[in-house]
Amino acid sequence: MKSEAIRLQVNSKAYGLETEPNCLLLDVLRQDLGLTGTKRGCDDSSCGACTVLIDGEPQMSCLMLAVSYQDCEITTIEGVADGSELDPLQRGFSVEGGAQCGFCTPGMILTAKHLLLNNPDPTEQEINEALSGNLCRCTGYTQILASVRKAVELMRERQPMEVR
Amino acid sequence: MSLPAFEVTRPRTLDAAVEVMTRYGADAQIVAGGTDLIPSMKQGLFAPKVLLDLKGLRELNFIRFDRERGLEIGALATISALANAEIIERLFPVLHAAAKTVASPLLRNMGTLGGNLCLDTRCLYYNQSGFWRDSLGGCIKKDGTVCHVAPGSAMCWAVFSGDTAPALLALDATVKLTSPRGVREVALSDFYVNDGLVHLNKAHDEIVTGVRVPASGAGWSGTYKKLRIRQSIDYPLAGVAVVMRKAGDGTCLEARVALTAVNPSPQLVNGVAMLAGKRYQPELVEEIAHEAIRTGKPLRTSASTMEYRRHMIRVFVRRALTELWLDGQSSS
Amino acid sequence: MSSSPQAPASPIGARIPMVDSVDKVTGLGLYTDDLTLPGTLVGRILHSPHAHARIRSIDTSAAERLPGVRAVATGQETPVKYGILPVGHDETIFAVEKVRYVGDNVAGVAAESEAIAEEALRLIKVDYEILPAYFDPEKSMLAEDNLIHENKPHNIERDFHHHFGDVEKGFAEADYVREDRFDCAEVTHAALEPHSTLAKYDASDSSVTVWSSTQVPYYLQLTLASTMQMPPEKVRVIKPLVGGGFGGKSEVIPLELAAAVLARKAGDPVKITYTREEVFYAHRGRPHQIVELKTGVTREGKLTAVEARIIQDGGAYCSYGVVTILYSGQLLNAMYAIPNVKFDGFRVLTNKPACGAMRGHGTVNTRFAFEQQLNKIAATLGIDPVEIRRRNLLQAPCMTVNDLRVLSYGYPECIDQVVEKSGWKDKYGKLPYGKGIGLAGSHYVSGAANPIIRSKMPHTTINLTIDREGIVTIFTGASEIGQGSDTMQVQIVAAELGIDVDQVKIVAADTTRTPVDLGSYSSRVTFMAGNAAIAAARDAKQKILAAAAETMATAPQNLVIEDGKVCCRDARRIALPFAEAARLAIGSNDVLEATGSYTTPESSQGGKFKGAGVGPSPAYSYCAQTVEVTVDPETGEVKIDRIIAAHDCGKALNPVCVEGQVIGSVWMGLGQAVQEEMLWENGRLMNAGLLEYRSASTLESPPIEPIIVESNDPEGPFGAKEAGEGSLAATIPAVAHAVYDAVGVWIDTLPITPEKVLKALERQKPGVRSQKSE
Repeated sequence: MKSEAIRLQVNSKAYGLETEPNCLLLDVLRQDLGLTGTKRGCDDSSCGACTVLIDGEPQMSCLMLAVSYQDCEITTIEGVADGSELDPLQRGFSVEGGAQCGFCTPGMILTAKHLLLNNPDPTEQEINEALSGNLCRCTGYTQILASVRKAVELMRERQPMEVR
Repeated sequence: MSLPAFEVTRPRTLDAAVEVMTRYGADAQIVAGGTDLIPSMKQGLFAPKVLLDLKGLRELNFIRFDRERGLEIGALATISALANAEIIERLFPVLHAAAKTVASPLLRNMGTLGGNLCLDTRCLYYNQSGFWRDSLGGCIKKDGTVCHVAPGSAMCWAVFSGDTAPALLALDATVKLTSPRGVREVALSDFYVNDGLVHLNKAHDEIVTGVRVPASGAGWSGTYKKLRIRQSIDYPLAGVAVVMRKAGDGTCLEARVALTAVNPSPQLVNGVAMLAGKRYQPELVEEIAHEAIRTGKPLRTSASTMEYRRHMIRVFVRRALTELWLDGQSSS
Repeated sequence: MSSSPQAPASPIGARIPMVDSVDKVTGLGLYTDDLTLPGTLVGRILHSPHAHARIRSIDTSAAERLPGVRAVATGQETPVKYGILPVGHDETIFAVEKVRYVGDNVAGVAAESEAIAEEALRLIKVDYEILPAYFDPEKSMLAEDNLIHENKPHNIERDFHHHFGDVEKGFAEADYVREDRFDCAEVTHAALEPHSTLAKYDASDSSVTVWSSTQVPYYLQLTLASTMQMPPEKVRVIKPLVGGGFGGKSEVIPLELAAAVLARKAGDPVKITYTREEVFYAHRGRPHQIVELKTGVTREGKLTAVEARIIQDGGAYCSYGVVTILYSGQLLNAMYAIPNVKFDGFRVLTNKPACGAMRGHGTVNTRFAFEQQLNKIAATLGIDPVEIRRRNLLQAPCMTVNDLRVLSYGYPECIDQVVEKSGWKDKYGKLPYGKGIGLAGSHYVSGAANPIIRSKMPHTTINLTIDREGIVTIFTGASEIGQGSDTMQVQIVAAELGIDVDQVKIVAADTTRTPVDLGSYSSRVTFMAGNAAIAAARDAKQKILAAAAETMATAPQNLVIEDGKVCCRDARRIALPFAEAARLAIGSNDVLEATGSYTTPESSQGGKFKGAGVGPSPAYSYCAQTVEVTVDPETGEVKIDRIIAAHDCGKALNPVCVEGQVIGSVWMGLGQAVQEEMLWENGRLMNAGLLEYRSASTLESPPIEPIIVESNDPEGPFGAKEAGEGSLAATIPAVAHAVYDAVGVWIDTLPITPEKVLKALERQKPGVRSQKSE
């Protein structure tokens, strides 16, 4: 197995690195790029802790061969805040107790990010549907739901409704 | 859990992909979304020398419908794309319903139709780590000789666990394959073989490129019922897809019932044709439900028991048929 | 308190974000597996493929020769036995003579890559002599030979036989006596973060530093020292962020020792992170438990006697087992007034991974049995389940028959609150067929009054420093595991010192830098570290006020600190900023130092009988819950519609955290009630992954409505008691009760799967359904 020079576009930055074809994007992010916010929680692709956005869509980096994701824009949890300003979802998870142990939090926030971009005012059922591939063992999801709702509220405050 | 060593080829065209399969033959394995193959490779179930990554084949990522050709879906269309396609929801509700239940939103964003149709058969004794399987001494499907589900049996009873296949079976779909020998189109019902070891009627070098659903099935009512412990993530423990075409007065003109996750292949239930021309009668529904549990033969391949899965097939068939048949009728 | 026009908001009771929440939402917070040192090697463990076997020989030579392998270790090199309990030292880092379960630890490898380490494991040749194995606890108890541990006859780890009062007399006085057998499946923590340990050995001073995903850094330090035969002061344990514990990291887990041993041998840092499958083998979860329960009541529903025979399937090692079996009997008490109680408990060894402490340690399955039987009795006698509980309340403050001291007792209010909010009176027995509501209660300790290793030392100590800018730093051994330990201590210190929480920093769980705390288990942190934080802050305050009093020309007792200023009680205008007062107290020193400790009062430490040490706590939390369900009688499926959980936490120091803990407990109880279960076949775990061990997704997780009840415990910090475990147990019997109310069947075997409901419905006598719908 030969190592291969690849280029990855992560959080709007271009990275060039050498990797082997059997390296998972999850491991490349964590070990080669030091982006350890993306977590490994299982080995059978059932927990969602490794969620990243691939061209804006939440997918699991534990299923991705890094060499195959060179043409995509990859967003990890480290790319969610705007500089030092937290994303409304990050603020929501912070104040509403959506992060207890915090291990599922990066995946939850990224999945919710995609939801809110496509549906800025989701119903409770829509939030639950969207997050149903991200497991949490701490919160029972109640405070995660509240955190997403809080983010919706914060986004609305930040962008006052246009007067028609 | 590291992956075994392999090379990855990422062709941009189907022709190039076919060439790879020609060159590497049995050493190559196809991957698209990776949702089935990658976890299995971590468990040591597969160790191909070359992975043929189809994700770059834009030409296989489409969903289109016309009244002549019917519904055509490329093998690389993701399950999310299927679940979100308006045309599928409107004209092929059974496929919409089935696609929505596949795994979780994250996995639907990655998994493809081709992958879902070619899903490896699954079993409690097979989908385990290398350590675990070694501790047992392997099974008939991998590294062993015994089927632990049916120790006396000479065959493998691992079950086909795709959700979209029964929906497409019920819609009388065909599947398109390309190989160095050319293109062939085969009825989905002929694509599957009821053997956990070799469950696809597909040569190793054939690439599934898409499916076609005849236009005649457009507009049939349909539903999919799935047994699972969680309402997300889980593979089906049993699944029932039902479609029906009705006359304005509620007479059934045509119906089909297909099962998944209870046999090594998805199955069309026999005898459903007799519903044609009949008005709703609970006895008829019961007869088909009975027929279904003669077709579905669950064994201990998953966490739930065979008794319960049989029971649920019966309940699902009963409920799905009743729902579809009585839909739009005043219940009297 | 005085009536100052602008009384500053106290951080106590404030809904403030957890102090580490920004690290968590940005992904910048570091967990153990996120850490890497230069030259870090990958460690992997070879596990036993056999449930019970003697090791004839191990040949590691081929593995050692593999390029890239830096160390291989086996049991002979480190034969010192360890275990979390002093009475249960029965584990070694790697198996010495025998392996005792599929997954037991045989050897360790450190290599330059994961692939090399895995290849090296394949090259280790072990010659096993396979022995007969025991998987069923009731059969294992009959074993005469091939014992799992030679010093444990009949494979019984420990048995206890308690008798308080006189149950024979009690049953004789009863008008109704009921007996049932309950069977509760084994479940596990499944914290989302797999265990991980990074170890570094420094040959220059023969010291080891270990970063680990642990709830108990101090016990890990002691165990590393004993097993590696090093003095404890040469061992430093640092706990980074922990991605959930629930008890699964509340004792030393094999990888923690293996990483350190391999690092010493290889001379470079070694990191081991378990695969998810290995997490299941490390386990230490809640055991399969069989409860044979007999309860007597008078016609009015007054409890006269309770007798329990409990068997726990503990797996192959002791772990917390002796404590677990004792809790399962001792905490039959302190919930209701029961005059006569008998308990026969057996902790049995089998050839499966060791069970240990899991959220609600020891109490959960017994509580399910008791509450379910109480609900059955109420149904038989025609007494409302609410009423039968009210008739058996404790009269707190009181001592129970087994010498448990109960001071605060918010259970009656918990019941009132859930009854009111759920609309119980209009629902129980009155909902249409298929819909039901159930009720149950539970309780839990706020820390064990007696430490695991008996000593007169404090249970926890907290040191503070205050610098010249008035920044307070807490040095604490208490372990944040996501439950809010750090936040709680910051809030308490800020409140006591009258300053803003932003002025308080915290350094936690680093055995070199922070004082001893026993760990985050048995819900001890708020009560114990909270009280120590108060003591430390008061020590600091006293020093600051003494210095300020001199400058302000008044006596210290006339001074208070409020809103970041030292004020005079009589004339608040003369105020000294906190930092300035702190500088006065610091004087010519570098910083102001203060300290505080907590030890449980003797009156809370329990009785003198054998096993009396487990169960006593300085305070007990209480919980009542209602659960509403819809049961589909055709499929047996139980849908949870609504859960209301009232929890007496004494005082909610931070309601967001308390609600999070209560909801999380209820949810975890719900998992055990309806869908979680470890499935075994001949000692092999059939579902050692998160795909098959079905932890609920959002879609099966109902709205859970927490209600905080504040009984203000006289000894709790600001009145607080535990919040993180007590609510778990009530959920299970409340679900079972709701199923009964919906379709008229009692399910005594956990989890309550659709199939069990369906089978029970098939057995149901005709007529039940029509009764309910009338």
